[in-house]
Amino acid sequence: MPDFTDRLKPAAPDGTTVLAQERGQSDVPVDELAKHLLSNDDFLGRQERMLRIVEKDPLFNKTKQFNLSRPDRFKLGLARGKKLRRYSDQYGWDAKDHEMAVYLCDDVTPYMVHYAMFITTVREQANDEQRAYWSPKIDAMEVIGCYAQTELGHGSNVRGLECQAFWDPKAKEFIIHSPTLTASKWWNGTMGRTANHAIVMAQLMLPKEGSPGEYTSRGPHTFVVQIRDMKTHKPLDGIAVGDIGPKYGYAPMDNGYMLFDRHRVPHSAMLSRYSRVDPNTSEYTKPANPAVVYGSLTYVRATIIMHARLIIARAVTIAVRYTCVRRQFQDRDSKDAKAPELCVLDYPTVQIRILPLLATAFALHYTGEAMQSLYWNTREEINQGNFGRLAVLHAQSSGLKSLCTELAANSIETCRRAMGGHGFGGPSGFIQLNNDYLSKPTVEGDNWMITQQTASFLIKRMQAAVDRKGKPQDEIEGHCRQYLDEKNGYKPSQLRVFDRDEDIVEAFRRRSRDQTYRAHVARNEQKQSWNSLLIQLRRVSHSESQSILVQNFYNALQQKDSAVSSTLHAHLRTLFRLFAFYTMDSEARDFSRAKAVSDDDLDKIPAKIQELMAQVRPHAVRLVDSWKIPDFLLDSALGRYDGKVYEDLFNRAHRLNPLNEITFNPYYKEEEIVKGSGENIDSILAKL
Amino acid sequence: MAAVKNAPQWVRDLKPASPTGPELLEQERKSSNVNVDQLANFLFTKEAREKKRKILKLLQDDKVFDKSQNYFAGRIDRFETALARAKALQKLAVKHGLDDDEKKIAELLISEPGPYGLHEHMFLVTLRDQGSEEQREKFFKPAQAYKIIGCYAQTELGHGSNVRGLETTATWNSDDKTFTLHSPHLTASKWWIGSLGRTANHAVVMAQLVIDGKGYGPHPFVVQIRDLKTHQALEGVHVGDIGPKFGYNTMDNGYLLFNKVKIPHISMLARFSSVDAKTNKYVRPSSPSLVYGTLTWIRSTIVMQAGSVLARGVTIATRYCAVRRQFQDRDAPEWEKGENQVLNYTMVQIRLLPLLAATFALHFTGKGMQALYEANHKKMAQKTSDSNTTRGTGPEETQSSSDLLADLHATSCGLKSLASSVAAEGLEVCRRACGGHGYSSFGGIGAWYADYLPTATWEGDNYMLTQQVARYMLKSARSVLQGQEPSNDTTAVLSWYHKRQDQGAAFDILGKDEDIVSAFAWRSAYLTFEALKHREEQKRTWNSLLVDFYRLSKAHSQYMVVKNFHETIATNNNLDPETLSLLHKLFRLYALHTLETESAEFFTSAAATVRQIQLARSKAVMTLMEEIRPHAVRLVDSWDFPDWQLDSSLGRYDGKVYEDMFYRANDLNPLNRVDIDPYPDSATLFRKNESDGLKSKL
Ligand SMILES: Cc1cc2nc3c(=O)[nH]c(=O)nc-3n(C[C@H](O)[C@H](O)[C@H](O)COP(=O)(O)OP(=O)(O)OC[C@H]3O[C@@H](n4cnc5c(N)ncnc54)[C@H](O)[C@@H]3O)c2cc1C
Ligand SMILES: Cc1cc2nc3c(=O)[nH]c(=O)nc-3n(C[C@H](O)[C@H](O)[C@H](O)COP(=O)(O)OP(=O)(O)OC[C@H]3O[C@@H](n4cnc5c(N)ncnc54)[C@H](O)[C@@H]3O)c2cc1C
Repeated sequence: MPDFTDRLKPAAPDGTTVLAQERGQSDVPVDELAKHLLSNDDFLGRQERMLRIVEKDPLFNKTKQFNLSRPDRFKLGLARGKKLRRYSDQYGWDAKDHEMAVYLCDDVTPYMVHYAMFITTVREQANDEQRAYWSPKIDAMEVIGCYAQTELGHGSNVRGLECQAFWDPKAKEFIIHSPTLTASKWWNGTMGRTANHAIVMAQLMLPKEGSPGEYTSRGPHTFVVQIRDMKTHKPLDGIAVGDIGPKYGYAPMDNGYMLFDRHRVPHSAMLSRYSRVDPNTSEYTKPANPAVVYGSLTYVRATIIMHARLIIARAVTIAVRYTCVRRQFQDRDSKDAKAPELCVLDYPTVQIRILPLLATAFALHYTGEAMQSLYWNTREEINQGNFGRLAVLHAQSSGLKSLCTELAANSIETCRRAMGGHGFGGPSGFIQLNNDYLSKPTVEGDNWMITQQTASFLIKRMQAAVDRKGKPQDEIEGHCRQYLDEKNGYKPSQLRVFDRDEDIVEAFRRRSRDQTYRAHVARNEQKQSWNSLLIQLRRVSHSESQSILVQNFYNALQQKDSAVSSTLHAHLRTLFRLFAFYTMDSEARDFSRAKAVSDDDLDKIPAKIQELMAQVRPHAVRLVDSWKIPDFLLDSALGRYDGKVYEDLFNRAHRLNPLNEITFNPYYKEEEIVKGSGENIDSILAKL
Repeated sequence: MAAVKNAPQWVRDLKPASPTGPELLEQERKSSNVNVDQLANFLFTKEAREKKRKILKLLQDDKVFDKSQNYFAGRIDRFETALARAKALQKLAVKHGLDDDEKKIAELLISEPGPYGLHEHMFLVTLRDQGSEEQREKFFKPAQAYKIIGCYAQTELGHGSNVRGLETTATWNSDDKTFTLHSPHLTASKWWIGSLGRTANHAVVMAQLVIDGKGYGPHPFVVQIRDLKTHQALEGVHVGDIGPKFGYNTMDNGYLLFNKVKIPHISMLARFSSVDAKTNKYVRPSSPSLVYGTLTWIRSTIVMQAGSVLARGVTIATRYCAVRRQFQDRDAPEWEKGENQVLNYTMVQIRLLPLLAATFALHFTGKGMQALYEANHKKMAQKTSDSNTTRGTGPEETQSSSDLLADLHATSCGLKSLASSVAAEGLEVCRRACGGHGYSSFGGIGAWYADYLPTATWEGDNYMLTQQVARYMLKSARSVLQGQEPSNDTTAVLSWYHKRQDQGAAFDILGKDEDIVSAFAWRSAYLTFEALKHREEQKRTWNSLLVDFYRLSKAHSQYMVVKNFHETIATNNNLDPETLSLLHKLFRLYALHTLETESAEFFTSAAATVRQIQLARSKAVMTLMEEIRPHAVRLVDSWDFPDWQLDSSLGRYDGKVYEDMFYRANDLNPLNRVDIDPYPDSATLFRKNESDGLKSKL
């Protein structure tokens, strides 16, 4: 309906003009940088191709989904899942294409765990016969599966799972059973309403020879279990399964619960690539070297980091564009009373929240890339059981997962708050991003807990360096020995972090080794309890991860053969230094204690950071443009490429908001709630 | 929690593995002797707690307040329900004669922003405080009776923080003695205004007053915006809800545009400034400082509330982490089989226990601010009415209470910023500390956090506000350098530092509580004089110093929190010695943990040595956590949240975490009532309940 608001324009200067100016003042080569960041696996080309298809399908229109109730969100998710799968068939998409489409639509679908964990587990843990049986059914999506490991009572501690699988040698069957309420499977995606099969993690219980009725537990093992009827889609007898209800985010996903009442499955249900129970002798074969999974886990973690960088890039894209368009107050020191208001990105208190994060997106990129290429380069060795560098990287990857997902999760919220009131609104493009991404610090290993793995590994290497037997076993031990050799001779003034980039790298490494050494002394020499050290161990892990991020960023800048132009190189170097100094500043005392940087230099860092931010500021818009995040993905009035912030905010509020189609009765003495509809307090009660 | 119904018998028979939540929490409560009742009375007073119980009963007896479907509904249903609740509450209030305090208690218990919120908290207050006698009669009275329902429309699409930059104009028409309200641009649209979107029929509108082509800055106008019968927007008024948000979805934050709308002379709220209808002249505001008083008061409420806002998350996380067990302790002897409560892991403690300490710190600080405010406000009001003489010869005291109020006003900006940031960030820490279950809506922290977040932005953006503190600190430092006598705490601290500067600090922060307070004062003063140096000697631009100002404001606010906490417990004699000594530990934990997090500044300012900071981290904080750990559950119990308010499976007083999670998932969850068709080759989605097409909703 046309009305007088159609004629209104935003006050000048409008967003489009502002962003054009911003882009005009910078020499960042956007396309070159985009290629530099995003050409692996034809990311950009694929993004463009998929975008063309999903963008014009109204089913993927995002603007109103935020109003829907949970059941409707799920329904929409299911519709989208089906549609994408049909597109796959129609256009012959491969798995990567499909993944890209899901990424652009930016909504999990109820099929997610089927595509991810279910397929992978069958591929990796089924023996050849099992694979041959399941794979065609899975590919055709006759079998739709989920991955049921976590229980109501146990998540992190997988060994503590309560669900049991008793071996019945007579019937040659397993009996899956949930002895308690806390044994209920919980949180398992795709299971609540969608899946008809599940990979169930259960304690393998084998009869004790000679003592009938008694069992020995062999620890958690995986079983493929049909859970719903293939026709009616009702749960099978002896299985109670459902959705666990609404969550902070992930509305379209049916995370589920599931209980078993002595439910029988055939011998073939147990996935038997690595361990098996002989159906005739009931003999148990142990898994071979569990390190086989290193490779794929490292790869998964590299993917998490590559994803985290895009999350940060997305948050920063919106924040940078909006804070350029947003103007508030005149410059206090300006003499000109008529001067236009400053754009808020010119305030250092806004810069300090956003620009270091911009640099962080790059830091994560280079480390994710390094991990991926290491994985590909060493795959041959892995297949031959030779781990070498990868074993180290694997241990470090827990810490990286923890730090990088933490950085990404926090960056969303930091950017959102930097935008003032409009950051809180649905059209900011931050709400679902926040809600969905905030599961990441917990899933795939709780971020606090898993830092223990990295720290524990590092402390062992330090112990080995102290023992000094033969040649160093790996790179880390080598560094540890070097640290021990040089330790006493350190002078903090040795490293000139403001002049030499390689000294920045060295400072981070020294500080990390110092943290490791102190933890080693506390644990191995002073014999302090593990529990009393946990907080310190997290620092050990984070120091190491920060050191890796800095190192990889630095390495990337050193690559002589790279095709990076000198203009671009200069910008990247500024970002490198901004990231490094910002990180150093927030951990300043560690560097001082490690004698890695002098107190004098540490005192100068805040000023240095401000100087670097001033250098980045004019290029901020082009730098975020280079991440090529399409408007369709951003789904943000504030972060639009064209800067039409206010027009879009108004359009969404005024024209796309279903609440405005209803006239309410506001008077408390009247029972009526919706004018003229008969909807009153009583009819609301019926819904409660 | 009712019993599980919707499941076969074998499911209903299942129990959680032991030890169960109730057993664990009982053990927790046994292992501590904190007198929960006494501490709760100390925090809230006995009368307030009794009132709360009484109102809780009223609410629980009315089905419209039933919360069980809150987590499931869509935006429109949630808003409708919220409106039904707002109406029901107002009816209850009339029926039982609830006063403002009691209504606020009810709102806290209901815990969702309702569509009458801004009418109650901003519209009525503004009419009362800024209206003339005549205007109060005309607007305030019917508003009290809810014939007029209003909101407070200041912020616009293009301007929030910078109120002077608002674009809506109110132009005085001398010929017919009216104002014309107009929105010249799209960015002039009022935006974010609570209760405006669907509910209000009136608004207080902040607009630039223009008389005879000359601007006089923003002023408030009362404007009718919707028809009182049909509730449709009036001619030339364009109004609606701005759509779904991160939180606050039960509130209809709205937008509003005017197309040359004429309003009568009486519309301009005239208590402080007005347009003389006869002369067409602007009449200047009388005392604008009264307005500052209200702002100071609002900020002190935010500080105090921040304590209990955070306490809610800490209560949930602490109880849950005492029930949750995961892994055996790595150093535990072979025969000790059971898993460890995750609250025993120092990694969990370091997240929760300093926050537990912060809840008390913020609560006491808010209380301290309010006491100071009330005392001095009274004194000042007394003095001004006693002596209608001019200032100057007036007694010393008049001077000092106004100085104290000015101090409180400036510092309240910093405290608002600090407290709401601590609470908001703390809630997210609590949620994450709960692991996977913290991500479930039934955890009860996520939605609460989302509704609280705007507090970091409204009543002054948390970063912006710090500039006001800095400006005041610089001014105070200048006065000290000019040799003026200290007239309030801030100048006292600054001049103390200034005199002692060359002697150095040497505080015994690990030994004496007073010395901890001094170390915080020292650091704040140091940063103040540094900033002054940058600004005056080095002539740095204001903008280039914003980050320093932010740090300065934070430092000074942390000093005040530490000081208030310390004063509250140092002078206390209402608590038994054991509880009191525990509060002392919480004080030290809060202070030393803060000191350790901000160690760089303590080190640079020489308020503490490297060695002290090292010891604070590795020894003092660890020991304090160990000492506080056994009392954690009882300490959160003393915050006295009814389960009904928490609405959380994880935070239940009785520890029935798993039973409640299961009950809600299984019995309350509407998604489990639909059967779906999961196969991609079939277009059917829900096998039952297909009729409501999805497309129409998109
Ligand atoms: C959105 C979502 C989707 C999921 N999808 C699936 C799925 O498809 N399939 C599936 O099987 N699972 C799934 N999960 C479960 C997920 O893997 C677990 O929630 C996760 O592993 C964390 O475990 P937890 O919840 O038991 O946390 P807990 O271990 O209970 O953590 C609670 C707290 O204790 C701390 N803690 C625990 N142990 C230690 C220790 N030893 N030392 C120090 N601190 C400790 C943690 O840091 C945390 O603060 C999902 C979870 C979510 C949120
Ligand atoms: C849920 C909700 C309810 C609300 N209800 C109401 C209501 O009922 N009535 C009403 O009138 N308003 C309301 N508001 C609006 C609220 O008061 C404003 O959002 C708030 O004042 C912040 O202003 P802004 O959004 O313009 O932020 P901006 O000023 O645009 O802030 C953007 C960023 O710029 C920075 N910045 C701005 N100026 C400076 C400077 N000079 N120096 C350094 N940094 C600067 C800020 O720190 C911030 O990071 C509501 C807002 C929300 C979110």
